[in-house]
Amino acid sequence: MSNIIQVLILGLALGGVFSLMGAGLSLVFGVMRIVNLAHPSLIIAGAYIAYWPFKLWGVDPLVMLPVATVIMAAIGVLLYKLVFEREAKSAKYSEMTVLLTFAVAMIVEGALGGMFTNTQRVTSPSYATEAIFIGDIFIPTGQLYAGIISIAIISALALFLKYSRFGNAIRATTQNRDAAQLLGVNVNLVGVVSFAIGIGLAGAAGVLVSFVFAFFPAKHWEWIAILMSLVVLGGMGSILGTVLAAFMLSVVAAFVGAYIGATWSTMTFFLALFIILLVRPQGLFGEKPELA
Amino acid sequence: MTTMAIQNSTEVLAARKEHNEKIAAHTDKARATWFPWLLLGLFVALPLLQFTGNYNYVIHMILFTACYAVMASGWNILGGFTGYISLGHNVFFAVGAYFAGMIYARMGISTIILAPIAGLLAAALGFVIGKITLKVRGPSFIISSLALVMIARILFDNWEFVGGAAGVALPSTDLPVQWAKLPYYYAFVFMAAFTVWVSYKVKHSKFGMGLRAIASDEIKAESAGIDTRLYKALAFALSAFFVGMAGAVWGEYLTYIRPNIYLIILVSVNMVLMCILGGKGTVAGPVIGAIMIVAFNEFFVATLGASELNILASGLVMALALIFFPLGIVGTLAKHNRLPRFLNWD
Amino acid sequence: MTDLLTVKNIIAGYGNGPAILDGATMTVEPGKVHCIIGPNGAGKSTLLKAICGMLAIREGEVIYKGETINGLRPDQIMRKGIAFVPQERALFPKMTVRENLRMGGFILEDKTELERRVDEVMERFPILKERRAQLAGTMSGGQQQTLAMARTLIVKPEIVMLDEPSLGLAPKIVKEMFDIMNVMAQEGITVLLVEQNAQMGLKQADWGVVLDLGRTLFEGPAKEVLADPRIQELYLGSNKAA
Repeated sequence: MSNIIQVLILGLALGGVFSLMGAGLSLVFGVMRIVNLAHPSLIIAGAYIAYWPFKLWGVDPLVMLPVATVIMAAIGVLLYKLVFEREAKSAKYSEMTVLLTFAVAMIVEGALGGMFTNTQRVTSPSYATEAIFIGDIFIPTGQLYAGIISIAIISALALFLKYSRFGNAIRATTQNRDAAQLLGVNVNLVGVVSFAIGIGLAGAAGVLVSFVFAFFPAKHWEWIAILMSLVVLGGMGSILGTVLAAFMLSVVAAFVGAYIGATWSTMTFFLALFIILLVRPQGLFGEKPELA
Repeated sequence: MTTMAIQNSTEVLAARKEHNEKIAAHTDKARATWFPWLLLGLFVALPLLQFTGNYNYVIHMILFTACYAVMASGWNILGGFTGYISLGHNVFFAVGAYFAGMIYARMGISTIILAPIAGLLAAALGFVIGKITLKVRGPSFIISSLALVMIARILFDNWEFVGGAAGVALPSTDLPVQWAKLPYYYAFVFMAAFTVWVSYKVKHSKFGMGLRAIASDEIKAESAGIDTRLYKALAFALSAFFVGMAGAVWGEYLTYIRPNIYLIILVSVNMVLMCILGGKGTVAGPVIGAIMIVAFNEFFVATLGASELNILASGLVMALALIFFPLGIVGTLAKHNRLPRFLNWD
Repeated sequence: MTDLLTVKNIIAGYGNGPAILDGATMTVEPGKVHCIIGPNGAGKSTLLKAICGMLAIREGEVIYKGETINGLRPDQIMRKGIAFVPQERALFPKMTVRENLRMGGFILEDKTELERRVDEVMERFPILKERRAQLAGTMSGGQQQTLAMARTLIVKPEIVMLDEPSLGLAPKIVKEMFDIMNVMAQEGITVLLVEQNAQMGLKQADWGVVLDLGRTLFEGPAKEVLADPRIQELYLGSNKAA
């Protein structure tokens, strides 16, 4: 029994981090209809922003969280202006943007690899190596912190989207771009800002990732399919759906890892992605097929 | 009033017919199907150079380009003609390599003989996978193809019979160095010629018209009576056939098969990239793309060395091509009526 | 008489496609109801989209209150006082009725003023008040159309453009839509109506515009348009004319 609870807790802790990793991806898709395959590579860029100050001067990664968010958001604006803005008129927009984000992922990976080599890195602040014990059950503090911070950030985002004027404009644009524009919303501005928020979230997630997983530039290939599975299962564009999917799949993956074998744990995400796309492409919480 | 209109319209129709025939005659004249045949002749004769010295490097480069041309032309049948972008075609490359490689390792049957069978196996697998994944299109299809690679990678990494993550070493040929590359060279040159020929035939067949109709508007294609589900799955199978065939021989040429060579995303990316650079949906495009990619790779490996920079450069080339030449070289030139005759194989 | 809005010989189309509008012209007088009629594919909806900025104008001019507005984005044109209710009704399906109304007043900076106007509109349309907490996507076609039209009133626009408000609605509901339109007109809002049912549309209108093949064939008082025998034969069904 305690074993089952242990696995459940490890799964939930992982789900917290994955939620934040997927949230930005979901937001960008919702508003821009861009399937951003470069998202995981940008998360890794964020992880390096936390890694070097820690390695060189022992700066706590969490201190770098706002810094990484802002830097990555700025990179998001740059990417949007350089690459995606001009594609808005393309007839094959969704397909073109997928290929473009793929190219961006390669550029980011290559640049990071060129600068920092493909060595595995991890930040190890004291809390990352500790654990809280409740009876037999242990909770790794690093993952706990990462999960709590993820949920806090996502809650703040949800409140912003629900109650602020600009947040409403973002939600409106997600649901009906033309209508939002006809009511006076500058959808281009909404696009840039949501893209910046999305990539900023990748930066924040990267900081948390830096002490939860070992990372290296080429690691993002593995995460692409994992994060896509969350976003697709949650119904593309629904942030709440992504969060729920992250917890569900992480728990399932934790059980698969514990009872079938660690290698098959990630397979859970890939198979889930494959099956959901084919059986219910609108995801669990989507109402109509948004991607097909 | 009405009769006037009819008279006018007959005149219009006659004029239009004349105009169309002019265009058709021009198209026939502009096409240069003789050029690929000339190239083939040159390549067949080229190894004679080996009598005068060691041209193994040249032979390797042509072989390499031919292999890429097979893969890209194969990919093009699904990605170019039919409009379904797959980032998972390296799975078929791996299937072909593992199937032929394992038989070669155990029974010593040359992969060159096994290649068509390996291709058929890849095609059968492609048909089944296509039947499943081609239900979705656009970004969903692209993502599903990525998932396919991830799944295949884990399966091959953990399949002990084929050596798991370490792979299998294959016996190398005992021919003298000077001639060692030639069997593979001819295999790839002929495979490339065959693939290009089939591409051409497919593009101009009723089947190919159906595929192109699907690419431009699937719903209209369906309402025009095309069995789109079957057509797409067949296109997937045919495209997997060529990629699998190339994989079969490539394994023996490399002398080893290992997941981290075949099942990395860069292999698929190269197929996509070659078609985008050359021109998706054209017959010559993938071949020109293959030449460009091999040249780029050589240049970057020679000047930059590190593989990270290679990835960076590939990404940059891909992004720039997508932004500025989404139609590729052949497509862009053709659009502006500047396509030189020897590159028009359509 | 100064026109509120003048459309001068505009040419427009989708993407690189052919020109759907090929020299469309019309004048809009303040406070009147203008009905644009014409066969399918004549460019009626396209004209409204071109005016509101959703479609780029290749040639020609749209002049609003003496200022050229073509080239502006839809949101900028909307801020100048031209509201558009497209055929698809342009609602936010996963927002409640109240949130949809609030989005209608997105350009209002003053939050209390916005809430006041939302309440005001809900008082005028009891059905919306009753369903204020319901998601817009779950309402019936007529209710959605009511919401879409009522939503334009939040910002008190100068011009409201309606693209076939009667589309797909039962006759009884259609009458309700025209009632809402007439209320708009009574309040001094200038209306541009595109209507498939030309007879019905023209009867409600002051001014009629006949569009065909992307060109304006005829423009004049609605009564004259209705009475013109050529127009009756071509666009209003010749049987009735006979």
